[in-house]
Amino acid sequence: MEHKEYDVVIVGSGISGSIIAKTLTNAGKKVLLLEAGLKAGIALDKEGSYETYQSYLDTYYKAAAKAPNAPYPDIKDAPSIDVLDLTVLDGKPSTDHGYLVQMGPVPFASDCVRGAGGTTLHWLGTTLRMLPNDFKMKTLYNQGVDWPITYDDLKPYYEMAEHEIGVSGEVSEQKMPNMGDNFWGEEYVFPMEKIPQSYMDSVLMQKTEGLTVSLNGKEYQITCISTPQGRNSNPNVKYKIAGVSWSEEKKQLELIRGDEKFEYRPKGALWDNYTGERCEGNASCVPICPVQAKYNALKTLKNAKKENLKIITQAVASSLMIEKGTNEIAGIIYKKYRRENSKRYTTEVAKGKIYVLAASAIENAKLLLASNAANSSDQVGRNLMDHLVMLTWGLTPEKIYPYRGPGSTTNIPTFRDGEFRNEHAAWISPLDNWGWSWPTFAPGSDVQAALEKGMFGKNLRNHIHDKVTRQFLLHFECEQSPEPENRVTIDPKYKDQIDNYRPVIHYNVSEYMRKSMEAAKKVSDQIFAANEIEDFTNYSKQNDPGYVEYKGQGYTFRGAGHIVGTHRMGSCKEDSVVNEDQRTWDHKNLFLVGCGNMPTLGTSNPTLTMSALTFKAAEAILKQLNQ
Amino acid sequence: MEREKQLFLTLSTYLTGFNEVELQGTGMLQTYFETIVKQTKSEILGYFWEEVAQILADTTDEEETNRAIDSRLMPNSAYNGLAKKIITIWYTGTYDGFNVISADAYIQGLMWEAAETHPPAAKQPGFGSWNMPPIKISTH
Repeated sequence: MEHKEYDVVIVGSGISGSIIAKTLTNAGKKVLLLEAGLKAGIALDKEGSYETYQSYLDTYYKAAAKAPNAPYPDIKDAPSIDVLDLTVLDGKPSTDHGYLVQMGPVPFASDCVRGAGGTTLHWLGTTLRMLPNDFKMKTLYNQGVDWPITYDDLKPYYEMAEHEIGVSGEVSEQKMPNMGDNFWGEEYVFPMEKIPQSYMDSVLMQKTEGLTVSLNGKEYQITCISTPQGRNSNPNVKYKIAGVSWSEEKKQLELIRGDEKFEYRPKGALWDNYTGERCEGNASCVPICPVQAKYNALKTLKNAKKENLKIITQAVASSLMIEKGTNEIAGIIYKKYRRENSKRYTTEVAKGKIYVLAASAIENAKLLLASNAANSSDQVGRNLMDHLVMLTWGLTPEKIYPYRGPGSTTNIPTFRDGEFRNEHAAWISPLDNWGWSWPTFAPGSDVQAALEKGMFGKNLRNHIHDKVTRQFLLHFECEQSPEPENRVTIDPKYKDQIDNYRPVIHYNVSEYMRKSMEAAKKVSDQIFAANEIEDFTNYSKQNDPGYVEYKGQGYTFRGAGHIVGTHRMGSCKEDSVVNEDQRTWDHKNLFLVGCGNMPTLGTSNPTLTMSALTFKAAEAILKQLNQ
Repeated sequence: MEREKQLFLTLSTYLTGFNEVELQGTGMLQTYFETIVKQTKSEILGYFWEEVAQILADTTDEEETNRAIDSRLMPNSAYNGLAKKIITIWYTGTYDGFNVISADAYIQGLMWEAAETHPPAAKQPGFGSWNMPPIKISTH
């Protein structure tokens, strides 16, 4: 039994848990952090962090299928969701293939890492803000719900998140639909200059920038902009934000401005700040940046105040103790397993004044359901969302030399907002730098196909050169709308080896979403035609787990890794789980952080917005502790 | 053994389209040779080396050698598809298109070289390099 009482107990060391831990410990609060993953993963010292990370890299090199989770341990005591476990459901639930119980009718297609640092270990690193209209979907487009806060409310917290992650980008190039007049604020710049766009981007932009496409009777002009991202580039000398700190006096978090001499210094690898000060072009952000030029949550955790932070690893939160009468949380029951994959564990209790669940949208929901907590609205587990990724691919007439640089350096923001959101989902289109590797497992599959045709020698080498250097992949991240029946549930029939629940998922793709896939394909066709790209897109009912049909046409969606919406934030306790401070309506000392709070998804990758919200939550927690 | 290894190297140049220096430069020759020896029944391997030696001795120019390889080694029925396995090893670092032989084998896969790029997570070309066409001078 753990007898010590902390100010705050946090479950999970991913980006949201790490931001809370860093912010609170630096404000003098005593924090206990429970992490379900292995002890080795949490190493922040030079030697330990290097050894752990090199073992991840070695595992990646040797992995047969280089899926996002490939480098990281999958522990039977705290299993991770893995895309390699996805199967075509074909009307039958999948109950014994991987960690998720997939009830269907279509499978939920995204994964995450359960371990120290969370999914930031394999995130791509795209750090787009949401657009002002994304916060008002019900009012403007009669879809989903409005947020209880506006873009302007979140703006200062976006700046905190961009500082914490270390964003590289060029503000003046960020022209997006309906941004309003003061999207960025006076003279705002990102900490680092933009990550150079790829050669492929420049070739494609020649005929795509300014291209007029027609969609459902309306014309749109395509624009292409550089993508802000959480990986290291050259510091921007104009950037003067030195940190974020709690003001006891004003009872709020403040951005600290450095003096004239202040220079932003990129945060390199955990083991050596001289490694990874710039992106080196490993072209493997997902699943692993070998030099840690890409942000991961352990960089944040490393800057927590050590003497105020206690971390317990191999500690899987199992349920919450709720005090009768006050309805406050009295403790978190966790199972501490002795060794990787061992069935032996001890049951212990963590106690604090305030509790923060930061275990991912699916794990948070599961934990609440297992505890019968925070669910007076019946919204816990509901509104599970992801970006439905529709890919289109083809061969360009000239060589574009893909498989180089970060995963994506340019995006098409044209369809991120517009009246069409009344009819179908919005999307963002990243131009992808890594050829056909995602949909076809190229270039290995190209070698196999050439061998089947009997090619060898210089013919083979020339063939691979000619084909692979022209592989273009376009990507549509369609904003999934919240649907109450897309949900995480639990069932005593489905448990893991240490008697914790496995998530049971019910999931479908609505007509609103299918219509957006049809629309996106129409736009793709026009972009391909303008660039004389030969289309090789192929959606297969037999082979693709995410195959869906609309008006007799088949489309395949893939998971974006954006697991969102299972304990949504709202303005009243009847229809939401947390308030705008991310405190649960039902338990005044329980906060939830992470993507689960997002009422709607927008078209931006959610990590930046979630991090901004997490700073807001940290502020509310500090206020509550200092009352 | 040395004779067979040399046959393996010479044959590999014809099968892969990469010259001896490029193949030696991967540092994988010994590993791949041993993999082939280990994975192939010795009687099949014995006949295979004899046939390779015969082809190299009997043909006088590249085109002729390629024709002989095409008809005598490349069919799936020839030596259990061993020639294709040799190409798969050099190009992908796997014996069967799936199972990676070693971390080094993955890193040295020639398919990346053929596509004028590098294996993801290794041989990184440096900050901003992706902004321009590859600067490597092609040797073929």
